[in-house]
Amino acid sequence: MKALTKNLLYFMVFFTIGAIVFRYGLSSFLENRAYSLVWIIAVIYFFFNFFIGWYFGKRDHETLPLYDIGFRFHFATYLLFNTVSVLWFLFDLHSQFESIRNVFSIALFWGIGLLIHFVFYLIARKNTIKGLNKEEIFD
Amino acid sequence: MNENNLFSELLSAWEETYKKGQLTLWIFLSLKDGKKYVDEIRVFVEEQSNHTMVCEIQSLYRTLRKFQHLGVVDFETGKGNKGPERKYYFLTELGHKLLETFIERNISLFFNKRIKNLIIKED
Repeated sequence: MKALTKNLLYFMVFFTIGAIVFRYGLSSFLENRAYSLVWIIAVIYFFFNFFIGWYFGKRDHETLPLYDIGFRFHFATYLLFNTVSVLWFLFDLHSQFESIRNVFSIALFWGIGLLIHFVFYLIARKNTIKGLNKEEIFD
Repeated sequence: MNENNLFSELLSAWEETYKKGQLTLWIFLSLKDGKKYVDEIRVFVEEQSNHTMVCEIQSLYRTLRKFQHLGVVDFETGKGNKGPERKYYFLTELGHKLLETFIERNISLFFNKRIKNLIIKED
C-alpha cells in the first residue's frame, strides 16, 4: 500500500511547524508564568491541527481514497509530536516548570490509543485491495 | 400516479441502479479500443453508450488514479494538441485479463441464443 502520499507529507510539514511553534509558546509562557496564554495557545494549536488534518486529509482522500480509517495521519501526528517534544528537552529549550516525564506519559497514553486505532485499522484493511475499499473500487 | 408517470419513475429507478458500476466496463472498453487521454475516454463512453452514461472529467481522473494504483491501468505521456503533455491511458496485462474474464462471466451470457432472442423479440 502506498502509505506516504503527497498530502500526508504536506500535512507532516505543517504539523511539525505547528508543533515547534506550540512548544516554543508553551515553554515561553510557562517560564513567564503567563498561564492564561498557555490555554490560548493550546486552543489555537488544537484548531490549527484540526484544520490541517481536515484539509490535507480531504485532499488525500480525493486524490486516492485509501481506506485506512485515518491511521496514517494519526501515526504521523503521534510520531512527529513526540519527536519534537523529546528534542525540545534534549536541546534544553523547555521551561523550568516542564518535566520530560510528562512527555513520556503523553507518549505512553497516546500510544495506547494509537495501538487501539492500529487494531481497528488492521480489521478495516481486511476489506481492502491494495489499500482501497473493495466496495468503492468499482462504484 | 398515472401509468405514464409510474412507468418513467420505475424506468429511471431501474436504470439508476443498473448504471451503478457500469462506468468501469465502459472505461475498460474505451481503453481496449486503444490508448486514450481522459477527454477521449469521456467522449468514447458518452457516444458509445448513446449518452446514457455521463461522466465528469474530475470523476474520471479519480477513477483512473484508483485503477492505476491497482495496476489495471497505466499511462504514458504524449504530446497534446497545443497545450501541455497529455497522459495517454491504457490497460495493463492485468487489466486486459480482468476485462476479458469479466465479459466472459457476465456479459457473454446475453449472447446466448435463447437470451438474445428474448432481448430482441418483441411481445
